[in-house]
Amino acid sequence: MSSGDLKFYYFDLQARGELTRLILAAAGRSYEDIRFGFDKWPEYKPKMILGQAPVLELADGTQLPQSLTIARYVAREAGLAGSDNLESAKIDAVVDTQKDVNETYFSKVFPEKDETKKAEELKKFLDETVTKHVENLGKLKKAYSKDEKYFVGDKLSWADLFVFQSIQALLQAVPEVKGKFGEQFKPLMDAINGNENIKKYLDARPQTAF
Amino acid sequence: MPSYKLYYFNVRSRAEVSRLIFAAAGEKYEDVRYEQDEWPAHKDEMPLGQIPVLEVDGVKLPQSRTIARYLAKQFHLAGKDNFEQAKVDAVVDTIYDLLNAFATPFFEKDEAKKEELTKKFLSEELPKHLQNFETLGKLYGNGGHFFVDNQLTWADLLFYNYIQSFMEFKADCLNNFPWLQQNRAEVEKQPKIAEYLKNRPNLQF
Repeated sequence: MSSGDLKFYYFDLQARGELTRLILAAAGRSYEDIRFGFDKWPEYKPKMILGQAPVLELADGTQLPQSLTIARYVAREAGLAGSDNLESAKIDAVVDTQKDVNETYFSKVFPEKDETKKAEELKKFLDETVTKHVENLGKLKKAYSKDEKYFVGDKLSWADLFVFQSIQALLQAVPEVKGKFGEQFKPLMDAINGNENIKKYLDARPQTAF
Repeated sequence: MPSYKLYYFNVRSRAEVSRLIFAAAGEKYEDVRYEQDEWPAHKDEMPLGQIPVLEVDGVKLPQSRTIARYLAKQFHLAGKDNFEQAKVDAVVDTIYDLLNAFATPFFEKDEAKKEELTKKFLSEELPKHLQNFETLGKLYGNGGHFFVDNQLTWADLLFYNYIQSFMEFKADCLNNFPWLQQNRAEVEKQPKIAEYLKNRPNLQF
């Protein structure tokens, strides 16, 4: 399978693109990983289906927008989206729950310019949002998992990769969040870090600000 | 044949797309609607202390988008293969982006600021998103009036529900978007949906 049949367009950042890159890595799927700086965005924007990135482009030129839609599509192609509709839905439920928390961080903490207000929002985020989220993830895992590592059933899914990526990204942005996750996700993080395909990708990926 | 129970408040909002999916598919379910004062007693029964929740043969699924996608797939209203389902998901995500953009003015407490933000939303954000919907519909719709491959999917049902709410704020918001007007007309015409719309409780949002 040549890398020409799948193109992934995103900024040279992790942010909303990294989940798809991780899924493609886990699947051992080759693709063209097109990365650009903000200065090049005006060139790319008119070529993107809704003038946004990321975009996934298939061999016939059809484009898909929306980061989680793209991730779900490549996950399904790779067999990382559950073995039946109900499993896929349990995976989606974990993804939606993680997404809610990421969006809270990006709308309440990240854009705040006032230092004092930012510190307040961050404290609220850590004490309330993250605390509740860790509880929620635990509840979902208890309800859906058949395994000590993975969220749904007993194999790796894109929900695991999304939680993994989100925790890593949050740790990079806010090191003080480390203690909040306790030990309960260690088996998952270890399993993903130890996955041969993913390890190869993580060792080689560019270091970016976020 | 699984048994389905949908738990939500007595409003349209985040559960209506799922009710529309059940209606379009002609499938039975228990439509549990809590009044505000009933809800606290049931909160701990729900996986994340939130609703809507779908219970399928005793398994509880939270998250409105997940519920709708699951039901649409069960009843063949989600797109016929992975790529079509992804196109449907792309339209759905774009609809939710519009809702998130509306949340900013909607939840603003300061009256003057709220009016300013609402005006900005109606004159800039809303038309921008409506244009995006037309772009997707024309690219994915295969020449028809539904968003993907000339077939009814839950993307059409979701769009139908939320634009109804926006039309409460701006009745003429689809005036410059004939494709979108036709899309909604097609949804309303479907016999099972027409029947459901006629009989459902008349709720503002």
